[in-house]
Formats: sequence, structure tokens, C-alpha cells
Amino acid sequence: MKRSTQIGLAAAGVVLVATYWSLSGGETDDSLIYSNLSECRAANQLSASQCEQRFNEASADHLRDAKKFTSSASCEQEYGANGCQSAVWNNAQVFIPALAGIMLARQFMSGGGAAQPLLPPTNAACPPGTRQPGSGRPECEQPARSSSSSSSSSSGGYYGGSSSRSRAYTTTSGQAMVARNISSTGMASTPSVASRGGFGSTSRSFSSHSSS
Amino acid sequence: MQRLRVAPRKNWQAEAERLGFAYHTLDGETYWDESVAYAFSLKEIEEDIEAPTSEIEGLCFAFVERALKDEAILRRLAIPDAQWGLIRDSWQRGDRNLYGRLDLAYDGKGPAKLLEYNADTPTSLFEAAVVQWDWLEQAMAQGLISRGCDQFNSLHERLIAAFGQLRNPKPERMHFTCVQDSVEDKGTVDYLIDCAGQAGIDARFTFIEELGLLADGRFCDGASLPVEMLFKLYPWEWLFREQYASALAGSRCQFVEPPWKALVSSKGLLPYLWEMAPGHPNLLPAYFEDDPRCAELGANHVRKPLYSREGANVTLVEGGEVRDSDDGPYGAEGFILQATAMLPNFDGNYPVLGSWLVASQPCGLGIREDTTPITKNTSRFVPHVIEP
Repeated sequence: MKRSTQIGLAAAGVVLVATYWSLSGGETDDSLIYSNLSECRAANQLSASQCEQRFNEASADHLRDAKKFTSSASCEQEYGANGCQSAVWNNAQVFIPALAGIMLARQFMSGGGAAQPLLPPTNAACPPGTRQPGSGRPECEQPARSSSSSSSSSSGGYYGGSSSRSRAYTTTSGQAMVARNISSTGMASTPSVASRGGFGSTSRSFSSHSSS
Repeated sequence: MQRLRVAPRKNWQAEAERLGFAYHTLDGETYWDESVAYAFSLKEIEEDIEAPTSEIEGLCFAFVERALKDEAILRRLAIPDAQWGLIRDSWQRGDRNLYGRLDLAYDGKGPAKLLEYNADTPTSLFEAAVVQWDWLEQAMAQGLISRGCDQFNSLHERLIAAFGQLRNPKPERMHFTCVQDSVEDKGTVDYLIDCAGQAGIDARFTFIEELGLLADGRFCDGASLPVEMLFKLYPWEWLFREQYASALAGSRCQFVEPPWKALVSSKGLLPYLWEMAPGHPNLLPAYFEDDPRCAELGANHVRKPLYSREGANVTLVEGGEVRDSDDGPYGAEGFILQATAMLPNFDGNYPVLGSWLVASQPCGLGIREDTTPITKNTSRFVPHVIEP
């Protein structure tokens, strides 16, 4: 036979997104994930106003999509001690997992795509015993809780005080993932951007004749 | 070789769209045309398409070896001398290539003739690899063509395999880029990203206009992530002349296609192939425009710019008169003249065969058909079958 025996397409039409999210079960690049606004600003890859916008959007999505609990205890049973925040949903007091960070699909970063909210690790992924330093699971290590759980607070987010080099999260869809800590590894090793836009000028002048 | 009239699948648009094929219709005109299919015998495919494709690729490799030792050739190909080192290094390191497409004139009677080699930025890949493959399966299932047909098309499998072998060990992450505002280019790149993902590579997209330069000399994507391996659907001759050209050599980036492909992707390749293998049954006589031997071509020939895409600026001269030409922005680097291989005329339609190579192995065929003898960016893509 002269033809392929089978053809799989990761996800027709939304290939990029599907390909990207399929990575979220494993080690994800640190620069895509910000645990709070100040970290986003410090990374200097989005402007301060973009950071704020992405967090606000993620926060709104989070409130809409997150699993709602009627008590703090039932929420914490799933997301760990201090893993929840109170919120008002349809005029009712509810508890939802805290917004532990946002994740940006890299291909959308410059184009204005939405950020995905990230939740604290579940107790299934990080059992209570792993949440203290020295447990051998640094990604589960839980930092001191900041005074506000609000995502748009610049005083530090859920994981702001962590000294760990990696962090466990849960995605909205319930997938566990681990991200490396940007403040301890990523920033120091990433050189600054000297310039942008040095390619593409011929195409602009040639309009539709780009490839063959 | 025959041109078949085939009933399109009833819901062919929806069937094409379910694959993510976003441009079956371009500017209101049908681009993917399954009311037609070309039928070949296995012998025609293997002896007249596959084998010559392999042989021409071999000649191209010999030409690269030769060009890298001869500055006159590099000048003639209009390669900026600042980039010679980049090209030479990529060849000597053995940087792997991913894909290419030979455009052939073939009528099923005489030998296929090489029109040109799209070695650097070929498109129409997704329609060749996936859309026509899917059409074949469905058309057989629905009885639109006879069961037991086959297709010269293992592109999908070969691409996934080739991504895994671009370097050793397999690359962890790879960036893909093309220009903004081209649905066809983006479609090609999206498909390659899908293939790379299936090869286990973390494939990232960034528009070429978003590429940046880091303080340490590496390129970075739109999110400032360093680019270590870059598939660029953007021609080398443009990269060589734009603002970041001087940063290419120090970027520590492995490019796909590799820089050495610049030597075989211009029409300047054609006169050299003819010089290296004069009289080769699959080559057409070709000379640079200022070569006195152009007179041997007589009054019937084709004039092509060194660099041009989609038939732009190509002129068909017959009896000394221009019969067909296409306007375009190309030609500054000079022209070549090539003997005319008239495309076969099937009821007023002129097919050009795109013979695909993946990692230099011939493995697929895609046909584009136009109503004029120069295939342009308005031509339709039509599927093919190998008859049982």
C-alpha cells in the first residue's frame, strides 16, 4: 500500500489549543504560569495592565466554573487546608477553591486570549502530609497563607510565599499539574529581549505571495 | 494517467471542515475540487514519479556539495555572502531537512519533467497528506470510485517519523512560524504542529512578526521563550535580507528547513542540474538569462525569476510571443530560461504534479490544476488514485 495506514489529528480546528492543553498533565513551562499579579508583573512578559486584565478575566471565569461548596470544611476536604476562599454566587455565600494562579496558552499571550484559572492541588494529588516543608514533595509544600485570597490583590497570592522550586496545581477540568517556580528558576536564566519584529518585512511588501 | 469525473461527496464541505481544512474555498472559488480525480497505474507512480523524484533529490545533494565549494555559484544564486558560512555549517553538520515538493509536468506518456523544486517553503501539504487521503477512503466506501484504489501518499506517517529524527536525541521543544494573514500558510503550519505533537515534541507557534532577539543572541517567541529549533514557513531568501539576517549565525537555532535548502529552492538550481546531467530524461534544458546558450531554447521557452512563488512573474513565451504570464513582485535577482514542457491539456485543464519528499524520501503526490498553462495561486487542488 502506498498510503498512510491511519491519520490521527490531535484536534481538528482547534489543534493548537488541544496540543497545548494536552501538556498540562506534566511539567509545564514556568513562564506561562503566574501565581499572582506581582509575579506576572515581575516576569515582565506582559504589561502591568495585561497582567491585571488576565487575572481579572481568570478570576471571573474561575468564579463561574469552579465547583461550589456550601461549607469551608467540605471545600478544604478536597483542596486542602487554606485551599479555599469564600465567594458570593447567585446571591448565596459559597466556598470555592482559591485561585492559585493563571496559565496562559503561549500562542495566545500576545493576541489577547484568555488565561486559564489554576486551582490549588487537590488532596488526592497532595495529601495533607505532603503540604509541609520536608515532606519530599516540594511541589505540594504550602506557603504561609496571605491575608487576602483575592486574585487581584497585589499583596501576594495563594502561593506567594513559597520557596519551593515547583508548584502543584489543579486545572479547572480537574487535571493535576506541576509547574516550576518562576521566581526561583525562570527569571534568572531568561535573558532580556533586546528587540522584536526583525523578520517579516518582505512578506508585508509582497502581500499574498508568501509560500508555494 | 487519466482524468476522471467523480461525483463529489454530498456534504463534501462539511467533511473537509471536520478535518480542520479551513480553505477548501478561497475567495469564493473552489480550491479543493473533488469533482475531478487523476488516476494512475502503480507502474506510472513507481517508475515515472517516485523513482525520478528520488534521483533528482540525489542530484540536488550533489549540487549542494558543488555549490559550497564554488563561490561563483553562490553569487549566481544571489545568496548574500554574509550567509555562506551559515549555509555551509548547516550542511556540514548534516542538519536534517523535513520536506520538499518537486513540481513535475507529466502526461502518462513521456517521462515526467522537473519544472521546479519547492524545497524551502512548500504548501498544499495538508490537502495532499490528509484531505485527499480521507476523500479516497470515503469515496471508496460510498462507491464513488472503485474499491481497491490506493494513493501515493504516506505523507502523514512519514512526517511524524521525520519529526522524531530531526536531531538526536529527539528535540523536546520546537517552534513553528509563518506570516500573519495567510490562512493557507497557517493551515500548513498547524498541520505540521499536529504532526510534531504526535512525534512527542512540545510544539509552539509564534508568528514570524513576533519573533524577537534576546540579549544573548538567541531568537525568542512572542512570549520571550528562547527558540532553539524553528520550523519557518518563510523563505530563506527573505530571512537572509531582513533586519535579523545578521543574527542568524549566532542564534544557536536549528532551522527547518535548514539553511542549505536555500541552494536548491531557487530556480537557479535548474540550469545547474541541466549542466550536471545534460539530457537527463526528467530535466528540461535551462540556462541563466544572460547565458548565450539560451539561443538553443528557441522561440518557445519559459522565463522564470530566480525567486518566485505561486507562478508569480513567470512568462510563457511561444514563437517569441508571450502566451501567458503572471504579474508579481519578483525578479530583482535575475531570471532563468527553461525549455517549455507543455502541461498536458485535459479538457482545457492543466495539471501539475507535486511530488512530495519527506526527509528526502519520495512519499506522496498532490495535483493542482489550472485552466491556464501556468499554475498560479488560483489553481485547484484535485485528488488522485492509484487504480487497482
